[in-house]
Amino acid sequence: MDIINQVEQLFIQNKIDIFLGYKELDGHLIPHGFTPDNLDELKELKVSENRYSLEKIATHLSEKDPDLKIGIIARDCNQRALNLLYTWKQLKPENIEIVNVNCCPSPLKPHPDCSYLEPKQSGEFKKEHGIDYNAEPDSLMETFNNNERFSRWMYEFNKCIKCYGCRNICPVCFCTECSLEHASLIEPGTLPAEVPIFHLVRATHMAGRCIDCGLCEEACPSHIPLRLLYREVNDIVSDVFDYKPGEGMEKSPFTIIGDDVVLEPKPMDFQIQGEK
Amino acid sequence: MGCKFVPAVCSYCGTGCGILFEVIDGKINSTIPLKSHPVNQGKLCIKGWNLHEYINSYMRLKTPLIKEDGTFQKATWDEAINHTATELNRIKQRFGPDSIGVLVSAKITNEENYLAQKFTRAVIGTNNVDHCARL
Repeated sequence: MDIINQVEQLFIQNKIDIFLGYKELDGHLIPHGFTPDNLDELKELKVSENRYSLEKIATHLSEKDPDLKIGIIARDCNQRALNLLYTWKQLKPENIEIVNVNCCPSPLKPHPDCSYLEPKQSGEFKKEHGIDYNAEPDSLMETFNNNERFSRWMYEFNKCIKCYGCRNICPVCFCTECSLEHASLIEPGTLPAEVPIFHLVRATHMAGRCIDCGLCEEACPSHIPLRLLYREVNDIVSDVFDYKPGEGMEKSPFTIIGDDVVLEPKPMDFQIQGEK
Repeated sequence: MGCKFVPAVCSYCGTGCGILFEVIDGKINSTIPLKSHPVNQGKLCIKGWNLHEYINSYMRLKTPLIKEDGTFQKATWDEAINHTATELNRIKQRFGPDSIGVLVSAKITNEENYLAQKFTRAVIGTNNVDHCARL
């Protein structure tokens, strides 16, 4: 297969130390880090219909070794996430090699996931229960009045089980300290979630940040139409600042951190050092 | 540097969600949902998302403990199993089998749970058996 040759060449030319792709294990296509130590394994390299955030894995790897050269299978959404991570100094573009693959439908979403191909979608629950804003994507925000929209969104937010999955899976969520874990803002261990504080804190933080990959909505156990919410937020950013996150290497208008961003190890590492 | 993903089943409750452990250089770094798993279909609850934390926790018990004079002492598996068997026998003989109850866990497999109820009913001789997923 073509990709396998491409990756093999990258290894032979010493351009990468590890390649993040997919391989099949027990019938599941799962992410895997291929290394030059085991070139035979490269035959198993595949493209997965299930999308995982490979660029997030790359940030985990470069936290451990900032100079590691990483190759990545990238769809359009991965590419946008990488661009954004470069501008926020979470990854060094000179350390990343991309092997592009086509956007494709997945079993979870029977349509292409790329925002350039797909209009705004409302959540699965709405579709199942007959309230479908999909026919005209703008109808939720235009046809319905403020009160109707407000009660609809409050209803959606109230379903939240506070799993933090939207944040955990997000390829562009990298802050060491997260507002959603700030005890005076979001009380830990209580349900229902602080509605709408929890969701609007995340929504405002997605302004100028969300690259519209849709992984949050796929990961949401309560089918909250998060993608629609973040798209609405970013429409404002686009209108006001003419900025589309991840489209290029331009910095977000909300960039407030300087050039020297140090990647701090996660608190868990300290615990392990303290062992024995 | 090595990076692989190991599929597993979440051990927190009886639902059986599929998860992937992100293993970097032989150490579990994070947990993500297994997208192609028929049970959870790429979703997890907050406990599943943090499954890796107890594996690496410094508070994790690595040997059995026996309480002696009010404090827990480290013991070998043989010592712990012998001690438990002796005590269960003593209690059963003195107070009868219904003075013993067995609570099992979603963190062990279906088969181990089956064995535990068999042990409770056939060996100890009581129907006092329950499971944490029923709490």
